Amino acid sequence: MPPPQDQFYAGLGQAVRIGTELLASLIVGGGLGWVIDAYLLGSTPWGLVVGLILGVAAGVRNAYRAAQRWQNSSDKPGQR
Amino acid sequence: MEESPLHPFELHNYFPINLGGLDISINKAVLIMWVVVALVAVLMVRAGSARKLVPGKLQILAEMLVDFIRGIILDTMGEGGMKFFPLIATLFLFILFCNLIGLIPGSYTVTSQIVVTAVFATVVYGLSLVMGFVLHGVKFLGILVPPGTPGWLLPLMVPIELISQLARPISLAVRLFANMTAGHVILGVLFGLAISGGLVIGWLPFAFTIAMNGLEVGIAFIQAYIFTVLTCVYLGDAFHLHGHDEHAH
Repeated sequence: MPPPQDQFYAGLGQAVRIGTELLASLIVGGGLGWVIDAYLLGSTPWGLVVGLILGVAAGVRNAYRAAQRWQNSSDKPGQR
Repeated sequence: MEESPLHPFELHNYFPINLGGLDISINKAVLIMWVVVALVAVLMVRAGSARKLVPGKLQILAEMLVDFIRGIILDTMGEGGMKFFPLIATLFLFILFCNLIGLIPGSYTVTSQIVVTAVFATVVYGLSLVMGFVLHGVKFLGILVPPGTPGWLLPLMVPIELISQLARPISLAVRLFANMTAGHVILGVLFGLAISGGLVIGWLPFAFTIAMNGLEVGIAFIQAYIFTVLTCVYLGDAFHLHGHDEHAH
């Protein structure tokens, strides 16, 4: 059992988390683009390209937000 | 004699039950889930029934777990998040015990089935959406617009935020499933090597399976912890809606 609210375990959690977050955003972005291509507009391959780019951006945005949240929570050591 | 390392993930029905075309047969995963539910319930009820001022071993364990979960909720959602304590504690304990029980040789890791983790992720994300729309109404769509975005960036930012929102349940489900599956595949491969290597060299991969099992115990804790933290974060986002910083937590 990790000691409650240990900084190390909290940091480890954040670190392990971000990798999957990047991948999931990429999959969702690419998937949406592909669906738009294949079923809605027939605009192959542009939907996939734009979707993948947006997916990368979303993944980076998620990582950025996680870092921001981490910074906020470690700013207030007294209230942990 | 060669066995696929994916063999342990196969499920065979013990009692085939068919209810109006719906297959609700009892298999190993279902049995293990029942065992986990019984284990958690018995542990927490027995630990909670004593309520001594000087706690016994069981009570100390339960108090540590409850305090740990309470700390996660207060850290991510603040005082207002405590009304979700029953849900979050149940999720954490269930996932943790599923992960740990799966490490006993011969049992089954329920969380290595993406169905199970996907249902958890869907319930959590669905709840955060429902709660967001109930609490904030149409204004909840503002979650797609990060605060401080200039108007001309909106056509770019809204799709990006939409994708990052849709990625949440997927990353939640895939992370737990993939970590559990990968760990057990590695264990399976190493154990296969140990058996086919015989006594001459087989002791080496066998020693690695023991080390890997120890690592997997750590991963079981960390994955249950991450799932719980992210549940709190997603619920908290719907709860506060951009108000995360001004809200005392």
